[in-house]
Amino acid sequence: MHVALFRWKAVVPLLLLGVAGIGFWLVFADRIARRTAQSVGTTLVGAEVEIERVHLDLPHGRVEIHGLTVASPFEALQNLLQADVLVADIDPVPLLEKKVVIDRLTATGLRFGTPRNTDGRTGGQADGVMGQMQRWAAQLEVPSLQLATGKISIDRLDPARLNTPRAAAALAARADSARQAWDLQLGGLNAAAIVDSARRMVERLRGANATDVKLLGDARRALGQLKQAQDHATALERSVTSGLAALQAGAAGLSDARQRDYAIARRLLKLPGLDAPDIGAALFGSVAVDRFQRALYWVELGRRYMPPGLLPRATPGPKRARRAGATVRFPRAHEEPAFLLRTAELSLQLGAVGAALPLRTYAASVSGVTSDPALYGRPATASATAPGFRLGALLDHVHPTPRDTAAASLAGVALPALPLPSLPIRLEPGVGTVALSVSVQGDQVRARWTVQSDRVRWTRDSGSAASRSPMDDLVWRVVSGIAALDVSANLTGSLARPQLAVSSNLDRALAERLRAVAGAELALADARVRAQVDSLVDRHVAPVVAQVTALGAGDVTRRLGGQRAQLDDARKALEQRLRELTRLPGVRLP
Amino acid sequence: MLLLKLIQSLIKTLHSEGTPGQLAAGLALGAILGLTPLWNLHNAVVLALVIVLNVSFPAAMVGWALFVPVGFLLDPAFDWIGRTLLLETPALRPLWTALYNAPVVPFTSFNNTIVLGSLVFATVLWLPLFFASRWGVARYRATVAERVKRSALYRTVVASKLYNLYRLFRSEP
Repeated sequence: MHVALFRWKAVVPLLLLGVAGIGFWLVFADRIARRTAQSVGTTLVGAEVEIERVHLDLPHGRVEIHGLTVASPFEALQNLLQADVLVADIDPVPLLEKKVVIDRLTATGLRFGTPRNTDGRTGGQADGVMGQMQRWAAQLEVPSLQLATGKISIDRLDPARLNTPRAAAALAARADSARQAWDLQLGGLNAAAIVDSARRMVERLRGANATDVKLLGDARRALGQLKQAQDHATALERSVTSGLAALQAGAAGLSDARQRDYAIARRLLKLPGLDAPDIGAALFGSVAVDRFQRALYWVELGRRYMPPGLLPRATPGPKRARRAGATVRFPRAHEEPAFLLRTAELSLQLGAVGAALPLRTYAASVSGVTSDPALYGRPATASATAPGFRLGALLDHVHPTPRDTAAASLAGVALPALPLPSLPIRLEPGVGTVALSVSVQGDQVRARWTVQSDRVRWTRDSGSAASRSPMDDLVWRVVSGIAALDVSANLTGSLARPQLAVSSNLDRALAERLRAVAGAELALADARVRAQVDSLVDRHVAPVVAQVTALGAGDVTRRLGGQRAQLDDARKALEQRLRELTRLPGVRLP
Repeated sequence: MLLLKLIQSLIKTLHSEGTPGQLAAGLALGAILGLTPLWNLHNAVVLALVIVLNVSFPAAMVGWALFVPVGFLLDPAFDWIGRTLLLETPALRPLWTALYNAPVVPFTSFNNTIVLGSLVFATVLWLPLFFASRWGVARYRATVAERVKRSALYRTVVASKLYNLYRLFRSEP
């Protein structure tokens, strides 16, 4: 049966379907673009991106975004920015290749740090960059101002970490071993039998004839055995003496081990840093780390989405019911990048929310933001200048080693309050100057954050009045008299092993007062540590010391002395008897 | 309910006037729709083929419905195939680079590991599935089709309203 290949009557419905598809696009394109922009933006930033309305005017290469809100990836109820209108002039040709090239973007009514009603953080959607930066920040150890609580706490002491019990056990084993060896050698001397034999020989010699050569030979052999036993006893005595000396030295060494254990235990004390830099780190370290973490978050995002080189790059695929898989980009030289923002002109407003000072309007520009810097060939830059405000940033990912630098300073603006961890005190810097600069070359980072103000306000946390310690009062007395603030935090080293240094004008004042007060507290804590070590060590040391003392005092040496005396007496008696025999005229001992 | 509709559709399709080849081609094209992520440009082409070519439209819908869960199950394998082809086969890199920078082609999302893996799998599977299903339909019609036609179940299925809808899209002899 012949079957036609085409179903010609379906062509018209297919065309109608195509027309319906175009109609659907015309009606819903703006909504689709809005949802896509929200989804992509949320993934990129790591926080909710909300858009009120998008209008696509592709024939004229124009896209308008109204009511853009980007939630802060760091603060739960705060927006990173809001914009009234963004207008993008788009090159339509690259759209055919699924590429977005924005020739010019203008944004008006940009506001930063505005409040929001819901938590807009998405965390994991930013490919783990936030988690990565949180782990990075966690490795920066910020000391805590323990004396602010009035107590020095001690971590639990692990007996396994102590040296003395191990040394005591080893000494006890050595003492046991030495005692067994000496007992064995004492038994091996066989002194009692030799002495008995010598005594019997003396008895036989009493009635002996001086001409009895055989008897005299036996006596001579008995004397030789006595001398040999005496030599062995002498050697054993030397061995015992030196062994005992070594054991006693070991017992004395237990005291040294105990001192080392005291030192180990002291390290468990959560002592406050009483040096000025430690105080600075304790007061402002957390805030500084937070600022550096935020700056490096953007640097890391930039490196992730604006990587150097032209190799294929895999990124997580789109969210859908099926697996997302990975979407791979294949940039090619002399082609347009997948995304390029050539220039952007921004009109932004800055000022603390709720502050008495009004918001100020500034102008800023951004250029060269692209997904493929190697294709664009120029670094991305951002700049903004206005009275009291300067910002400059350069992300150079054109070369294999990315170089990211950014610096911003803001003067004459009400600065937000700074929390002081472990202190029930709030610092309100008031109107002042804040500056942040970051430079990351490859994996080497140099960053600096400074805050200066000469009209700071200090407020005590009224909620903790009942739990205030004398130390809290001390700190309050010191800081509340200080009107100027000058904080400087520096971050250096590699991204993997960064080093943080913080200093402020409060450091020296606080350090001197705390050092004076801390002496008694430290002595008390030290005594507690020593007592804890002693309680763990004494039950191991005392039996060993007693064992060594007992060895030195008696048993072995006493038994050895007794045997030596018997041997000496027997030898004297035998030699005496032999001399008496050899005094007979005409008789010579063989 | 969905399962019942699927059985209903399957029975109607098997007993339609379409040849085994038309049914098999429809089923194999529908399998592409089911195996690959739906909202992609290549599926618009497949759908257009289902409509324009004289294949069984119901068979395509049955194939689609049957292979959607298979697609979900095989996603890890598709991901592996896609990664291997896109990232671990340097010889293919010039091809992908050319396609990526060509007009329209990027809208197929061929550069997604799941899309490419599933599309390659479905394409490779197309001919075996076509021949196997054509043989299966022919065997069915030669052996048990008549008995099924006389069954109460078949009469119930044919009597339903959906059957009338189906008749609008049945294959042309």
